[in-house]
Amino acid sequence: MITIRKIFLALVAIGSIVACSSSSSDDGPSGKTDTFDRGLLLANIADNIIIPAFEDFQIKLSALDVARGNFVNDINQTNLDALSNSWLEAYKVWQYVEMFNIGKAEGIDNTNHIGFVSFFNIYPLEVADVQNGADNGNYDLTTSNYHDGQGFPALDFLIHGLADADGTSIEKFTTNTNKDGYVNYLTDIVSRMISLNNTILNDWKNGYRNSFVANVESSKTGSVNKTVNDYVSYYERGLRANKFGIPAGNFSNSPLPETVEAFYKQDVSKELALEALKAVQDFFNGKAYNGSTNGESYKSYLIALDRSDLATLINSKFDAAREKIQVLDNNFFNQINTDNTKMTEAYDALQLVVVSLKVDMMSAFDISIDEGFQDNDGD
Amino acid sequence: MKKLVLSIFVVSALFQSCSSDDDGGDGGSQVVAPATYSFEREGESSVSFSGQTTRIEMGQEFIDALKDTSKSEADLDGMFAHAEGDADFSDADLNASDKSIRSKTAASSDYFSANTTDANEIKAEFDTWIKAQVYEVFPNWNVDAVAGTAGKIQEAGGGSTRYVNAKGLELNQAINKGLIGALMADQALNNYLSTAVLDAGNNIANNDAGTVEDGKTYTTMEHKWDEAYGYVFGANADPANPNADLGADNFLNKYLGRVEGDTDFAGIADDVYQAFKLGRAAIVAGDYDLRDEQAEIIREKISEVIGVRAVYYLQQGKANLGTDMASAFHDLSEGFGFVYSLQFTRKPGTNEPYFTKTEVDAFIATLLNGNGFWDITAGDLDTMSDTISAKFNFTTAQAGS
Repeated sequence: MITIRKIFLALVAIGSIVACSSSSSDDGPSGKTDTFDRGLLLANIADNIIIPAFEDFQIKLSALDVARGNFVNDINQTNLDALSNSWLEAYKVWQYVEMFNIGKAEGIDNTNHIGFVSFFNIYPLEVADVQNGADNGNYDLTTSNYHDGQGFPALDFLIHGLADADGTSIEKFTTNTNKDGYVNYLTDIVSRMISLNNTILNDWKNGYRNSFVANVESSKTGSVNKTVNDYVSYYERGLRANKFGIPAGNFSNSPLPETVEAFYKQDVSKELALEALKAVQDFFNGKAYNGSTNGESYKSYLIALDRSDLATLINSKFDAAREKIQVLDNNFFNQINTDNTKMTEAYDALQLVVVSLKVDMMSAFDISIDEGFQDNDGD
Repeated sequence: MKKLVLSIFVVSALFQSCSSDDDGGDGGSQVVAPATYSFEREGESSVSFSGQTTRIEMGQEFIDALKDTSKSEADLDGMFAHAEGDADFSDADLNASDKSIRSKTAASSDYFSANTTDANEIKAEFDTWIKAQVYEVFPNWNVDAVAGTAGKIQEAGGGSTRYVNAKGLELNQAINKGLIGALMADQALNNYLSTAVLDAGNNIANNDAGTVEDGKTYTTMEHKWDEAYGYVFGANADPANPNADLGADNFLNKYLGRVEGDTDFAGIADDVYQAFKLGRAAIVAGDYDLRDEQAEIIREKISEVIGVRAVYYLQQGKANLGTDMASAFHDLSEGFGFVYSLQFTRKPGTNEPYFTKTEVDAFIATLLNGNGFWDITAGDLDTMSDTISAKFNFTTAQAGS
């Protein structure tokens, strides 16, 4: 049966070559032969984007730790505000690295394919994890139980949220019966973020960069294939779904405004989302993290394949999505509660890029989608 | 006659196969559909659409409950937007299911994946109709309806009693017939028959290689096609030979049967069935051009079912207007649902419905203007009927009788 089918398919294939050799194709790479130097692309994104972004993230996490130390040593509102500021600065740079779930970042957690994001930015926060941890000091941040109890969302709660019957956020650290526990939890989370990022960055700088750039294979394990899959997956889930679709209620029966990013701070959800969109667009264009020069990129790869039309289209769709985000309230929680339609319009504009990236760009690169990242609508 | 029609499709498929795109079939490709919708892999059936059958069954309990005044808004919402394990239905299997009607309402890949704004509006419209049924119609179950007041109204000659809102609209009919478009047609035509879904991810490579889903007997592409089939034929006693008992549900299957029963459209049920069968065989053979041609036939015919029934009920309503208002309201309520469903139809060869949401909203506004069905005129209904017929391949006279 299968053999007959294969023969049949072979006949079809031969038939197509003979009968349809000039027909255009829309499900394979474009007609032009792929002579693009993938090594140059990989070198540019590693040297000018990924490593500098992780380096900056390291700097911002260090500053966060300094602010944490100042606060812990002298607990007052001024120091808490300073901690909040450094949290936001680090959170903004995080938006530039979340998409790079490769190397140590990918291997850091073997319980799922989300990789290092599991320890940095799973939201909404499981508040009980933090409260119980502060209460009894009994927690293991390395386990999947605490994926939604650490990272930026946990810091957001610790710095801006209210615990128990507290009237202000600082009371967690001053009058709360578990005030020492909250201090410890804060310290443990920050030190874990620093150490995880150091592991990832040191690996990039000590060998991984070279093997990453050298792996120009066009197989599933090739660096281009992996980064493209990570990039599109991040865009679809981390950016489009987590920041917009889920809180807007597009995957549930009603909106879920309490699931916005930075829920406890609230007025920075738009700022973080715009940083994230800038990060993905800059990466698409190969723009250096520190500076304004552009190197080899998905855009130049598309142009090399005679698909400058698609490269232009993707950029214009990114721009259109940005316009839809810019009209939103700084506070997505408020936006969803007052006029969710604007939120879904932003989501819809972001979704239009998914089609161009996931179908058109990946097909132009002749890269298939990783299993597990394919849509599954549960039917 | 039917065979001739079919062979014309096949022949035209052969002539066209190289003119369009990608992996066009060879001149000798002779995909032969099996006698019935029955496909096997290594001795086991590879056909599966249980999720669609489940939703049709949920839909049946749901529309029955819309006429049960003991039901609360929460009861009805639970049936519309079921969550796994909730005791929303009388059937334990449905309660155990993780499927929901609402999540697949206005939810197709082609029309709504990048238009969640309209999708949310449409879902919310169904929510509103449910709510109005509970808070406006149920309390007036024993009140005589007059213009501007919800209540009961009985058809002439001791006929059926209809329960309408203040505009004469039976909301249960609006929901029932609206779902034919928003759920069944949209999912089948604009989701599962869409190349965006059939060819998603690595579906083509996996189908070419015969790689089945984990623990299943079918490739993903085969399954997607079957899921479209399930929204049309998922309730029939013998799913392999479904036209033997057309009318097995109160949704698309029933009205495919009704249109089939109109001599002007006889043969349409077989056209749909044959296209599904040949398209599925084309997937097994890896002939995706032939597959897509069958998808276009199905889109045209199913859209036509909705268009014909919209015009039919508008015309029936017109005939009873002024003489038997209850009958007129019943017809117009069904017509309202089919008109609403027009926005989910699919013009073959395009990514568009026969009538856009904006156009449909204008029809709805006309139907509900002022006191709604109490005020509508024969002229309004004729104008609307002719506007609809003009975009299809039928006349108002053909559809209206």
